[in-house]
Amino acid sequence: MTLGVLVVGAGFIADEHIRALSASGRASLVGLVDTVADRAAASAGSHGGVRWDTELTAALTWPEVDAVVVCTPNDSHAEIGIAVAAAGKHLLVEKPLATTVSDAQALAAHFAATDRVLSVAHTHRCYDYGRAVKDAIEDGAIGRPVFARLAILGGWIWPDWRSWILDPARSGGHSLHNGVHLLDLVTWWLDDQPISVFARGRKQTAAELEIYDYLEMVVSYENGGTAVCEMSRAHRPGSFAHRDVSVYGSDGTLAQEWDGESSLLFSESGASTVPAAGRNGFAVQLESWLDAIAGGQPATSPQDGVLAVAMGVAAERSIASGEPITLAEVLS
Amino acid sequence: MSRVLLVGFAGIGGQDHQTAMYGPAFEKHPEFTVVGVCAGPDEPGSAAKTAAGRLDVPQYESFDQADFDVASVAVGLPHRAAIITQLLRAGKHVLADKPLAASLAETEAIAEAAALSKRVLVPAHHQRLHGSIRSATAALGAGRVGLPWNVQADFLVAGGDVAPTGELVNLALYPVDVLHAMLGLSVTRVFARSGRYWNSEADDFVALMLDYAHGVTGTITVGRTGAARDTQPGGLTKHRYRVSGSHGVLLVDALKPALDLHTADAQERRWIGPGTIDALLDVLHRGIQTGLPDIAVTDAVHTHQVIEAAERSLRSGAPERT
Repeated sequence: MTLGVLVVGAGFIADEHIRALSASGRASLVGLVDTVADRAAASAGSHGGVRWDTELTAALTWPEVDAVVVCTPNDSHAEIGIAVAAAGKHLLVEKPLATTVSDAQALAAHFAATDRVLSVAHTHRCYDYGRAVKDAIEDGAIGRPVFARLAILGGWIWPDWRSWILDPARSGGHSLHNGVHLLDLVTWWLDDQPISVFARGRKQTAAELEIYDYLEMVVSYENGGTAVCEMSRAHRPGSFAHRDVSVYGSDGTLAQEWDGESSLLFSESGASTVPAAGRNGFAVQLESWLDAIAGGQPATSPQDGVLAVAMGVAAERSIASGEPITLAEVLS
Repeated sequence: MSRVLLVGFAGIGGQDHQTAMYGPAFEKHPEFTVVGVCAGPDEPGSAAKTAAGRLDVPQYESFDQADFDVASVAVGLPHRAAIITQLLRAGKHVLADKPLAASLAETEAIAEAAALSKRVLVPAHHQRLHGSIRSATAALGAGRVGLPWNVQADFLVAGGDVAPTGELVNLALYPVDVLHAMLGLSVTRVFARSGRYWNSEADDFVALMLDYAHGVTGTITVGRTGAARDTQPGGLTKHRYRVSGSHGVLLVDALKPALDLHTADAQERRWIGPGTIDALLDVLHRGIQTGLPDIAVTDAVHTHQVIEAAERSLRSGAPERT
C-alpha cells in the first residue's frame, strides 16, 4: 500500500517533489492545493488529473491523504505546517522550516506532541556530494572535522520584482531562503553546535533589492571549529555555476573543487559545465522521509530545521549590525 | 653588478630562508654577486660558516666590516627591525625576509628610515610574483572581470613546524599581500577566527574576513595542516584565489603552472618557469636602478596593519578596523 501525498503549493519546486513521488514505489501524489485555482488545476491536470483545491482545510479531509509536502512561500510554512499536524498527517516542508525562530519552534512543538513525522527539505544533505562528504567524515577519513568551506555560486535565477523571494517579509531574506541549505549542511558535516554567525551580504544585481543576492556567512562552533559559507545568485555571467567544498580534519583534508564533478563544454556560446549524472536528491530525500514515517531515522529532524532557521536569522541580523550574532541571542 | 652580503641565517622558529631561498637565488642571478656572509645576533654561526665555505666568500663578524651594496637580511624576527634600520642608515639596499618586522610600529619606523635613506628596501612578499598571480593581477587591472566585489583565497601548507608566532604572523602575510596587489585596494576591517587544529604550541589555522575599500569583501583561510603524503614538509597543498566582479569571475590556482609527475613510488608536482624568489630579485634589481621598487615598505605596512587588526579581532571576538 502506498502513502497518499498531498502537495501544497504548485510552483517549480513542487514539480521536483512530484517527480520524486512519481519515481517512488512507496508513495504517490493524490492531490494538489494552491491558492490560485488556475495554477492548481493546471498542475493537477499535468500530473494525472489528481484532485485539487484552493483550500488546504478541505484537502486535509480527503481520506486518501496520509502525508503532505509543503512548497509554499516561506512565511506560510508555520501556519500550514501546524494545520497539517492538527490533521494528523506527516509533513515534509520546504526549507526554511519557518522565517522566524518562534514560528519554527512552534511548528516543531506541534509535531512533537504527535506521532507524525516532520522533516525539512534541506535537500543538499541528500545530494551525492553532501552525502559523500558526510560518509567520508563518518568513516574517519579526516579525523575530527574542524573547518569547512562551502560555496554555491550562480547567476540570477529569480523572475522579476513580483517574485515573493525578493520580499524579505515573505522569504525571510536570502539567508533563510537559500542560506539555510549551506548553514545546515556544514553544521551536519562538522557535527558541532554553532555558537555564532558573522555574515556579510551584497545587493549585487540591483541596489534596490531588499534581499542580499550574495551572502558570505561564517559560523563559529562550540568546539572551536569554523565554517565559511558563500551563497550567490549574483554572479555574472548568469550561466556561472560553481560549487566548491573543502573540509579540514585533524587527520587530513578533503575537497571537491569547482571542477571536481562537472565536465567542461566549450561551444560557440562559450564555456559551460556539464555536471556528472547522479542520484536525484529529491528522490533520496523523499525515500528518507518515507523511511522515517516507517520508523527509521529522518534525514533532518525538526530540531535541525529550528537550528537552521536560527542560523539564518543570525546571519540576517549580523549583516544588518555588522557584528557577529550569537545563537543564544537568536534562540532566547 | 651589485655586491651582496648575506646577513643572518634565521627567522621565525627554526626558519633559515637565507640558506633555503635567498642565498641560492642571489648566487645564480646575473645582476648580483655574493661577496660575504654575516651571522645575525644570537645565531650560532654554523649556517653562516657553511654558506661562506660553500660560496668561498669571507664570513664577517659584523656587516660594517664588509664592503657591499645590498644586504639580504634574514636575521631572527626580534632583531630584524634594528638590523634593517642600521643597514639603511649605512647606505645599503636591503632585501628583507618576511615579515619585515615584529610589529606594525617597528614596520612604520623602518618605513621612515627607508624614506630618509634614499635606498631601496624590498620586503620578501614574493608570492605576488607567482606567474599565475602576475597574470591574474594584469587581467584584473585590464578590467577583465569589471569591478571586483568579492575575493576568496586559500593558502594551505602541510607538515613542517608550526611557527611559534602562529601562522597568522608567519603565513597570512602572503595571501593578504597577493590580494592587496591584485586589487590595488587596502583592507579597512578584519574579523578573524583561529584554531590549533594540528598542534598544541600555536595557532596553525586562521580565517580572515576582510572588508576593503569600495565595499569589496573577502575571506582568506591560511593554515599549516598535519603532514600529507607526497607533500614535502611545509609544501603548499592549496593556493588559490577567486575574484568575483561585476562582469565576470577569475579563478586562479597558484599551484599551477606545474607538471604532475606520477611514478610507482610517489606523485609530485614540478614547477614550470621561474621561481618567485628569482622574480623577487628582479624586482630588487629594477628597484635599485629606478629607485622605485614594485614591492616596497608600504606593502609591508599594509600587511602588518591587517595582521595586527586580526590579532585584535581574535582577542575581542569582533571585527576590528585596520
